[in-house]
Amino acid sequence: MKIPPTLSVVLSNLLKKPATNPFPHTDPVPTPEGFRGKVVYHVDKCIGCKLCVTVCPAGVFEYVEEIKKVTLWLGRCVFCQQCVDVCPTNALEMSNEFLLATYDKYDDNLRWLKDEEIEELRAKQGGKT
Amino acid sequence: MNIIYITLGLIAIYLYVSFVSLLWEGLDRKLVARMQRRIGPPILQPFYDFLKLLSKESIIPRDANKLFELAPVLALASSIALLAYTPLGFEPLLATKGDVIVFIYLLTLIAFIRVIGAVSSGSPYAQIGAQREIVMIASREVPMMLGLFAILWRLSKLGVEKPFSLGTFYQYNIWEIGTPATIVGTLILLVVFIFWLASEIEVGYFNIPEAETEVAEGPMAEYSGRHLALFKLSNALKEFASASLVVAIFFPWGLSGYLGISGIGALIIDLLFHTLKVFAVLFVSMSVFRAVTGRLKITQAVGMFWSRIIPMSLIGVILLAIDVLGGVIA
Repeated sequence: MKIPPTLSVVLSNLLKKPATNPFPHTDPVPTPEGFRGKVVYHVDKCIGCKLCVTVCPAGVFEYVEEIKKVTLWLGRCVFCQQCVDVCPTNALEMSNEFLLATYDKYDDNLRWLKDEEIEELRAKQGGKT
Repeated sequence: MNIIYITLGLIAIYLYVSFVSLLWEGLDRKLVARMQRRIGPPILQPFYDFLKLLSKESIIPRDANKLFELAPVLALASSIALLAYTPLGFEPLLATKGDVIVFIYLLTLIAFIRVIGAVSSGSPYAQIGAQREIVMIASREVPMMLGLFAILWRLSKLGVEKPFSLGTFYQYNIWEIGTPATIVGTLILLVVFIFWLASEIEVGYFNIPEAETEVAEGPMAEYSGRHLALFKLSNALKEFASASLVVAIFFPWGLSGYLGISGIGALIIDLLFHTLKVFAVLFVSMSVFRAVTGRLKITQAVGMFWSRIIPMSLIGVILLAIDVLGGVIA
């Protein structure tokens, strides 16, 4: 019977430090450059060109006719970054945020431009024009 | 000895061994984790697991019969009874002539009750696990009994009060005979017993009946809640008792003689030292073995026992017997 070759590795590992990141006690492993995290939407930059609605494979965007903006629900987002690449005014960008777990799928954290904000914007635009 | 003292002693031993054996489970998980460069669970994790299982709902399958619920209780009962015959650094509580048979019987009975519980569950996964368990019992007990009986027989030649009792290991140990043949034979038997221990507690090569990734926990497939908790506890007790046997045969030295302590103090010191030795034996036979080796197929394991380990055991036994038999022939 041969001595298993793993024996020496295993025994020397006993004396080494664990090669793990104890996450809740420390910071998570740093995200790399160009990491595709939660989508951030700058409402004021948006011109309502609907390119993101066309390009999104997951149907995250919904066009709001009256104010010429889009609303987002990230519960469906696949983080492909196509909306960011296609946006002519850089109103969309990928952040580094990836801790997106929630108890409620319509959590505020996963939505941009909520109903009351739409109402507010509409009131403002209605006042201007 | 008073029967009340024996009862109290058994209760105390049961409490101590269940604490220590669960503690060893935690240490084992920690050590294996460190061998794989993980941090691992806290050392008290098996206690949390045990309490969690006790508080969970226990689901009884529709096709299960009465023995399904009875088996965990019987398994724990026989492992507690086993503790009365287990050498724990001092003579077993109920040490008498020939109690080694009771020890082996109870040790095998625990595995048998597991099988009965598995067969009663009505699950095909448990059936497969039970078949494997029976095949393993049939192959692993032969070399162990051969070695154990040979050693006890050799020790009884030295003139002991209670031949074939596990208490004799504390009167004479096998290394004292000291002839080259017995030393080589004992070393061979030590290897046999290390393999037997690994197969008794089903780790490494011999994790065949339970085989999580293959037959979904085997005999334990249908057990949940407090029934599973009882089985886990009886397995831990059995682990400790089997390792205690190996320690008692091969490393029976106590500390109290050197330190010059007697009475209750000696018992406690010897028990603690015995526990340390059990941990050391389990470290080799369980943690390292589990981290280093994968599982064998059932045919390979049976082949290994009948073609390697039983011949090894035979050679060891013959070497042990040579001195005595040589005297007879000459």
